[in-house]
Amino acid sequence: MKKVKLLTITLIIVLVAMVAFVGVYVQKQNRMEDEVRDYSYSMDLKGTRNVTLKVSQENKTIIKDSNGDEVADSEDLTDEEIAQNGYTKEEIPYNSEEALTVENYKKSKEILEKRLKAMNVQNYVIKLNEQTGDIILELAEDENTDSIISNVGTAGKFEIVDTQTNEVLMTNKDIKLANVMYGSGSSTETTSSGTTVYLNIEFTKEGKQKLEEISNKYIKSEDTGADENTTENETSENTTDETTSEKTITMKIDDEEIMSTSFDEPIRTGKLQLSVGRATTDQDTLQDSIAQASSMATVLDTGNLPLKYEVDGNEYVLSDITENQLQIVQYALIGIVAIGLIVLIIRYKSNGLLGAISYVGLAALFVLIIRYTNVVLSIEGIFAIAITLLLNYIFVNKLLAKLKQSEVKKENIKQAIKETYKEFFIKIIPICIMVITFCFIKWIPISSFGMVMFWGIALIAIYHISVTNSLLRIKASK
Amino acid sequence: MKNMSKKKLIVIILIAIIIIAGITITLTKGLNYDLRYQDTKRVELYLGKDFKIADIKQITDEVLPDQAVLIQKIEVYEDSISIISKDITDEQKTNLVNKVNEKYETELNADDIATTTIPHTRGRDIVKPYILPFIIATVIILAYMAVRYHKLGSIKTVLKTAGICILAQIILLSLIAITRIPVGRLTIPMVITVYILTLVGLTTKFEKDLANNKKEEK
Repeated sequence: MKKVKLLTITLIIVLVAMVAFVGVYVQKQNRMEDEVRDYSYSMDLKGTRNVTLKVSQENKTIIKDSNGDEVADSEDLTDEEIAQNGYTKEEIPYNSEEALTVENYKKSKEILEKRLKAMNVQNYVIKLNEQTGDIILELAEDENTDSIISNVGTAGKFEIVDTQTNEVLMTNKDIKLANVMYGSGSSTETTSSGTTVYLNIEFTKEGKQKLEEISNKYIKSEDTGADENTTENETSENTTDETTSEKTITMKIDDEEIMSTSFDEPIRTGKLQLSVGRATTDQDTLQDSIAQASSMATVLDTGNLPLKYEVDGNEYVLSDITENQLQIVQYALIGIVAIGLIVLIIRYKSNGLLGAISYVGLAALFVLIIRYTNVVLSIEGIFAIAITLLLNYIFVNKLLAKLKQSEVKKENIKQAIKETYKEFFIKIIPICIMVITFCFIKWIPISSFGMVMFWGIALIAIYHISVTNSLLRIKASK
Repeated sequence: MKNMSKKKLIVIILIAIIIIAGITITLTKGLNYDLRYQDTKRVELYLGKDFKIADIKQITDEVLPDQAVLIQKIEVYEDSISIISKDITDEQKTNLVNKVNEKYETELNADDIATTTIPHTRGRDIVKPYILPFIIATVIILAYMAVRYHKLGSIKTVLKTAGICILAQIILLSLIAITRIPVGRLTIPMVITVYILTLVGLTTKFEKDLANNKKEEK
């Protein structure tokens, strides 16, 4: 009976090891496919999206009047109209010669880093060419990469201007913070109700004052019947009332008009809440609005880039660490473990053999847990696997050493396991502290290390009290 | 006792030599950064067909002898290649293209292929994301050590732990500088591993001291 029990547990361990290290192959369309989930690799091991942001060399066309002032709303003017009005056309670079400085290059890099952090990008590499100002970004490839790239290089220039004169009334300097807010209720323009997404812009002390003055000056006149206020939709519609002579302001992001409006009443709070999209109950629409508002908030919150950048290169580059190299690491680890287990068997004979069987079971379960808990495996994560296997070896060796000292009886096994647990876990409490801390860090190489070791230590704690304990007790039973 | 002191002295001298040598080399020659963190030149070639990295490596070994080269496949179809090296002259680029044309029967023209300058990654940018997590973890660990080993003297334990952890890292970095191991993707995992091993060593020592204290009290 004892042998049957031991054999059963051993066979289960062998089975788990086969699944973990070899896989479960099923025929699919004339080829065999492993059904066991693959590891989720970090960008170091998988590959990166390499984006080159070049300092723009392009020119923009501006129309100036006879006094040399820039003409507002000049985009739609034809050459004839320009000539008729006595305007002149000028080509000026987006980035002036004076702006092309190392300080501005560095500031741009800093702002990009801030944006990446605000967008919760948990692993990236950023390189700055201080001679040209070009920036190279290496990002992990996933479903968010494209939207990150489209947002990260946006200049983020915010302006509130007088619609008629194009006088700049407020800029990025007046913004304290920008974030996304939600509100429930029915839309004023539709009969639908649900959640509305707002872009909330909070202004600095000076900005608050300016906003109050502007909202006083650009207040709606009672007879115009204008249908806009500042909390209405602005991203989807241009709401300028061309027929009235009322003074309005235009809000621009990256020189693109977001809205034109006047104010119902003076704004004294220093906050503007702009609805993005309409109130909706549809989750997809809501998610789109949230994404749109979040991008705007991130860009506004992190400040505008001092230079205009253009995406010059955007390609997926595979890691130079190949599958073959990873397999070599795996075989090397297996080799080292095998030598360690042989030493255990030689030193502790039959107990050593059981310890080795138990060790293999833990290693197999460990790699399966890493795969099925979606832990992102980085180079740090691979080191964490090696450290966990080392810690497990120390545990098993300690336990077997204790058993060697005493007669192999059930009571002694219980005592030996208790003592080993106590000694082992007291010694690794600092490691546990570090591991738990690392688990909460939003930087993939670190969290990968933390998560892998967390599962490893948790498994050591649970596994030996159940499997190793059972194996040794069955062997000790008569 | 005399023997112990002698052993200790030898260890201290050895550590001092390693640290001094490490600092001297770092100050004079600097650290040997991995190619991916250095100022480099990149050439991208579109082959339009499957290829083996090993074959490209053979070509780069001929064209760029004694130069570290980083070869990576590009895009999902893996039919383009990125070759990065410290420097790629126009002549080397032409040779590279000619040899690739010869091997893969492609018709690439060296004049159409740009050599891109890749800026280096600053050491502080590599280290930055790791500083805060290490500080948080270390502060909590030191607080734990102070409480757990208060019988050995809280301040003494904290100072010893912090000192030995820092010393271990300095020794590691000195060894990296002396041996010219490239500072790259393996450096941080090595730092973490040394940190963990130091902590295990320290707790083992403190537990032993605590047990001895208990015995003496009895």
